[in-house]
Amino acid sequence: MGMLAENLRSALEALAGNRLRSVLTLLGVMIGVFAVTTTISLGAIATAGITSQLQDFGNQALFITPNEDNPRSTPFTDADIDALARLPVSILRQRNVRGVARAGSEEVPLTVNGLTANAPEVDRSIELARGRYFSDEEDRRAAPVMVLSADAKEALFPDVANPVGRQVVVTVGSSRTFYTVIGVKAPLTGAFSFAASASADVPLQTLYLNYPSVTRGEYPFLPVTVGLERDLGDIEAQVDAILTRRRGADTFRIQTIEGALSLFDTITTILQAVLGGIGAISLVVGGIGILNIMLVSVTERTREIGLRKALGAKRGTILQQFLIEAVVLTLAGGVVGLLASIGMLYLVVALVPFLDRVVLSPFTVLLGLFVSVATGVLFGVWPASRAARLSPIEALRYE
Amino acid sequence: MRAAPAATATLPVIEAQGLEKVYRMEGGFEVRALRGLELEVARGEFLAIMGPSGSGKSTLLQILGCLDVPTGGSYRLAGQEVARMSEDELARVRNQRIGFVFQAYNLLARATALRNVALPLMYRGVKTRERSERALAALERVGLADRLSHRPNELSGGQRQRVAIARALVTEPDIVLADEPTGNLDSRTGAEILELFDELHAEGRTILMVTHEADVAQHSERIVHIRDGVVESSEIVERARAEGA
Repeated sequence: MGMLAENLRSALEALAGNRLRSVLTLLGVMIGVFAVTTTISLGAIATAGITSQLQDFGNQALFITPNEDNPRSTPFTDADIDALARLPVSILRQRNVRGVARAGSEEVPLTVNGLTANAPEVDRSIELARGRYFSDEEDRRAAPVMVLSADAKEALFPDVANPVGRQVVVTVGSSRTFYTVIGVKAPLTGAFSFAASASADVPLQTLYLNYPSVTRGEYPFLPVTVGLERDLGDIEAQVDAILTRRRGADTFRIQTIEGALSLFDTITTILQAVLGGIGAISLVVGGIGILNIMLVSVTERTREIGLRKALGAKRGTILQQFLIEAVVLTLAGGVVGLLASIGMLYLVVALVPFLDRVVLSPFTVLLGLFVSVATGVLFGVWPASRAARLSPIEALRYE
Repeated sequence: MRAAPAATATLPVIEAQGLEKVYRMEGGFEVRALRGLELEVARGEFLAIMGPSGSGKSTLLQILGCLDVPTGGSYRLAGQEVARMSEDELARVRNQRIGFVFQAYNLLARATALRNVALPLMYRGVKTRERSERALAALERVGLADRLSHRPNELSGGQRQRVAIARALVTEPDIVLADEPTGNLDSRTGAEILELFDELHAEGRTILMVTHEADVAQHSERIVHIRDGVVESSEIVERARAEGA
């Protein structure tokens, strides 16, 4: 213990004696540990952010599409939906068409979604800022009413605070239809904001009535929602079994909402790869810096080492002394890198809207420290063993 | 470690018999630095070793100091054969039996006088508190009790050499090996250091001092002249001390 403490003390003194050199040397390790810990924490923070967004959403979701690569694949039918309805899920019957809408003089592109009146219960991202959603009764009688998305409201009624009651003309192909605005949706927030677009929800029967080219009872995709208490993987397997039996294998694809959020996943992964790469390279370069400076230090202190050996220091003692010096150097770099990383994470979380809190696991902190110590040992062991092999005769040489 | 005085008083502290040292140089030729050197030093003796450069004086010092091993012959230090010891065993012998005083003091620049003196005790595994106490006592002995927390660059050359002597004494070694201890000092300071050696000798310490200065060698009891790897002559110094006193 006494020896270890003494060696630690001489290491700190030696590093303090060459302060500028020490700081420059630990930069590489600092950047390396910064990159490594930031990478890992960023992944955890992104995952936590997405998970909490999904929990805000209040439901789990599946999105079923036909398999575009399979020529035998056909749109889904009412019979498919009835078969799936045996499961504890809600399925939204939904069709859409693209057209052009006009309220004043400006024509704007608009996606018209035909939905059933239960849409707000099934799709929790639907929230109304003004007015109301359409009713079952309006769906049954194919009423010409529409609920605008926030983007559509901005495009069509930029200067109107409340467009409820106003008229919108929608042109799809050769058909022109007048709709009355009955509601405006709130802007999409958080993880779903990337899906924002100029769209309007109308009753499904209205869509069928106004656009005969849309085949009744055929659905190009099925949004399915599942209660949070259910096991999504289990439901997914059952959906897969039912649709395979009814339609044949490989005729459809099931995506989860997590899959829809894979954009974030991809960005995070790319960022992690880049940062991880920078981290690995920095650690190697930093380690070589340590190696170099330790070799210089051993050469400079040949006499000191010789003296210590003359006074009775064994090889192991000298080895320990110089290893401690290397590790103190890299550990200092690691701690600074770790602190910089934590600062960076708070900055990222403050700037990116859908990330809501910093996740810093003790594992990440320990890993950062371990990596810095390991770098010190790995790149310090050769200079240290060179020091340990020096002859005590060096102490007798005159300069 | 320290045997009964009665037994050791009669035994020579250094017995070197037929010491050989051959350096193999690049290109295959050999340099024979020591050629069967014989040397015996009694406990409590003050011995000066003199010799021109190339005489084998430095090699002898390295071997007597257990910094190197001979290629032939026998070297018994306080009765213990050290000529065939491993590096770590030699390190232990150096730590326990030999106190070094170097021409250039060789103090750790960043450590205080007290820590410099305590260093050999650390390598012996002595506890921190005892280390400080013994280092303090050694510094008091060389007259530097008021310079404990000074670093070498805050001390004069003579004071630095006193710190180095304290470091050599702190382990209570069998021999003190001084290599040109006054070589870096002006004559007045050098004389003070030699006086300290005289005192240590009077206290019964065994001192081997390598020097090329005849008047420095006069402080010893016996001067051994080395030439061509062997002891050329050995003279007893008798009256110099009486005259100096």
